[in-house]
Amino acid sequence: MSSAGTLDILSETQALVSDKLQVVSYKWASRNFSVSSNDAKRMLQELVEQHGSDLKVVYVLSGWLKKSPPAYHITLTTALKLSEVKNEFEDNCSIQIYSVQECIPKDPVTLWNYELVQAEELFDQPATEENCLRDNRFCGVSNSFVKRNATGPSPIVAPPQTKNIGTITSSKSSTAPTTPVIQHQLHGKVQQPSPLTGVSTAALSSTVKRETSNSEAKDQDGKSSADEGQATSVPGYKKNAQAEKSSSATGSLSNLWNRASAKAKPSPPAETMAPNLTDTADAQIHAHEATGATGSDDEASDINYKRSSNGGSRKRRVVIDFSDEENDEDAVNLASPDPPKRKSSQDSDHRITDSDVQKSKVNLATHKEDQQKIKVEEKTEKEPSPSSKEDQTVRDKSKSSGISLSVKTPSLIPEDGANQMCKVNEASSNSPKRRKVLKTRIDDRGREVTEVVWEGEEVQNINTDERSTIIDASTKRPPAVKKSPALPSNAPSNPVGKAGSKKTGKTAGAKDPKQGNILSFFKKV
Amino acid sequence: MLELRLVQGSLLKKVLESIKDLVNDANFDCSATGFSLQAMDSSHVALVALLLRSEGFEHYRCDRNISMGMNLGNMSKMLKCAGNDDIITIKADDGSDTVTFMFESPNQDKIADFEMKLMDIDSEHLGIPEAEYQAIVRMPSAEFARICKDLSSIGDTVVISVTKEGVKFSTQGDIGTANIVCRQNTTVDKPEEATVIEMQQPVSLTFALRYMNSFTKATPLSNTVTISLSTELPVVVEYKIAEMGYIRFYLAPKIEEDDEETKPQV
Repeated sequence: MSSAGTLDILSETQALVSDKLQVVSYKWASRNFSVSSNDAKRMLQELVEQHGSDLKVVYVLSGWLKKSPPAYHITLTTALKLSEVKNEFEDNCSIQIYSVQECIPKDPVTLWNYELVQAEELFDQPATEENCLRDNRFCGVSNSFVKRNATGPSPIVAPPQTKNIGTITSSKSSTAPTTPVIQHQLHGKVQQPSPLTGVSTAALSSTVKRETSNSEAKDQDGKSSADEGQATSVPGYKKNAQAEKSSSATGSLSNLWNRASAKAKPSPPAETMAPNLTDTADAQIHAHEATGATGSDDEASDINYKRSSNGGSRKRRVVIDFSDEENDEDAVNLASPDPPKRKSSQDSDHRITDSDVQKSKVNLATHKEDQQKIKVEEKTEKEPSPSSKEDQTVRDKSKSSGISLSVKTPSLIPEDGANQMCKVNEASSNSPKRRKVLKTRIDDRGREVTEVVWEGEEVQNINTDERSTIIDASTKRPPAVKKSPALPSNAPSNPVGKAGSKKTGKTAGAKDPKQGNILSFFKKV
Repeated sequence: MLELRLVQGSLLKKVLESIKDLVNDANFDCSATGFSLQAMDSSHVALVALLLRSEGFEHYRCDRNISMGMNLGNMSKMLKCAGNDDIITIKADDGSDTVTFMFESPNQDKIADFEMKLMDIDSEHLGIPEAEYQAIVRMPSAEFARICKDLSSIGDTVVISVTKEGVKFSTQGDIGTANIVCRQNTTVDKPEEATVIEMQQPVSLTFALRYMNSFTKATPLSNTVTISLSTELPVVVEYKIAEMGYIRFYLAPKIEEDDEETKPQV
């Protein structure tokens, strides 16, 4: 790897971590930048040396434990606990950087979620497509018996029942029951008991495993040659399935909101997960394309289609923006410019959020009738657009604890206030053309919600505009409901659809026309 | 930070049982004054208002007002895991997306923690004005439940008419009609068995029995029920929760255009 290339990658990674608040693990970096995982680790090391103070580092320690009987152990730890954890190991343990991130995620799933999305994308590419996962390019372990069968059917693997959520520190004993499964998944990669392979296997399965004996591995090799090249892809798929399960099992706020909406409104199930995943996935695809690893035209169009539909379904992420265009001009700019290489991915991000913003505007329009009544509320909403005011709200936020400040990031976990603050501050260095704008609103639960959204040129909006109109039409409340100005102006547009479908969904048709409505007696407050 | 310790845990169980069929999802609002809920049923015909005052809790800590969106079915599932004698503690951290129910057995030898995910619910909070009702009937809650149950086997709607003589519940259906009159009766041994009618003017209103029956699920909460009627207002069916607050059900009346009998006999 040339030093110039490294520099590029370094600055790009830096941008990813600090602006996109992404967790960059060495595996992710390795696949994304098409470098070997050792190079990726070195690169991260370099990054930490340069920007160590701004970044939080998760280390991976591997080696033999001091306790007897000696067990090979791989664990992830934060910098704070590094020395502590290191004491548990024999002297010659290896300490490498697993990932760098803006802040240590509350939910360890985040650590490998990006990898998972990336792996998923790589495996989702057409079977004929070569990529670093398919041809096992960067893996230190290979199995000469396993040949890739590019034209063969893609393997269908039932999701394993193990719950191997990547924990920051996973101990051997706790994962012991699951190890057989993992060994089976990874049979091709466990032959050498060197620490390095240990790391890669552990990373692949996101759990800790004992070295298997050569004989066992060979046994399975025989088997695996039967299913040809699929063997290599199996772990990835399994991992995906697993991760999907585990990440959907985490109680992230977005998840819950998703559940809430899915309940009342059946149309877009798993909204939150999907957009989040695909959001980053798109970014990664583009990054991948940019690095020249893949990219036929067919595929590109495929991706484009996918992306736009994702953008459309992201109802949960709608940001209510009652300010109109002029106000937007005043809004605070938040992000530093992305490095040129990431332009494509930024683009995808940008489009998605654009559609959101657009949608909220369209949505606003549909509420025109209601607006007479809610004007007062709306006025208060409009106010915070000038930058000084925005800043004020941000500052206020830091003072009062427990205000949910949801920064629009692909991150799946709710962060605590402190983390969010650091993000917002970080984000406040700025970009000229497309910029992130901080939007603050009071949501319907009375909490202050601040979201960072992308603000962009009109051109981008045009194609999403149409779509969002359609969506809006589908989520529009039925006329019968309209007479009740049910929604406060600042409620996210999604509940609109929810309320509507709720009402029509219930046996409203069978309802007695003589039955009075409670809303005709009590006014909303 | 929110921490509410309710020694009489069964009370919360009963509350949930009484409202979970009427309302699917609702926001519980916690403030310094107490733990409250206001929610409409999905068809916007009935409204339930619950208040559990802070004084009723053994320990009540609510640092800032929070609103917790819960699926009442799920909450009820969790509360069903609590024993009737258990002490229930509701806990939530600021900014958290979960609420924790802790159940302690009376002799403290079993402690269970249930964490439930919260939901984001667009609450449609209604302002309920204080009103003078034309007629207020207080009667044994079991009696009222029995009446509603009986009448619902005959018809779909109940006409509640309050006159000086008493309160008349009547219905008609395909198989016939039914009238149940309860007279004012204050000369009973126990005050909770009394039927008390305070009437400014006679009133008669029609309601869907389906909702009335669903309100009577709150019967275990209180020995008496108070029914407040006014021609221009929804009926209020109130169950007092001892030393804690109340649960009130509001039901919009059915609009009777040409039925002379149901018009208030002024």
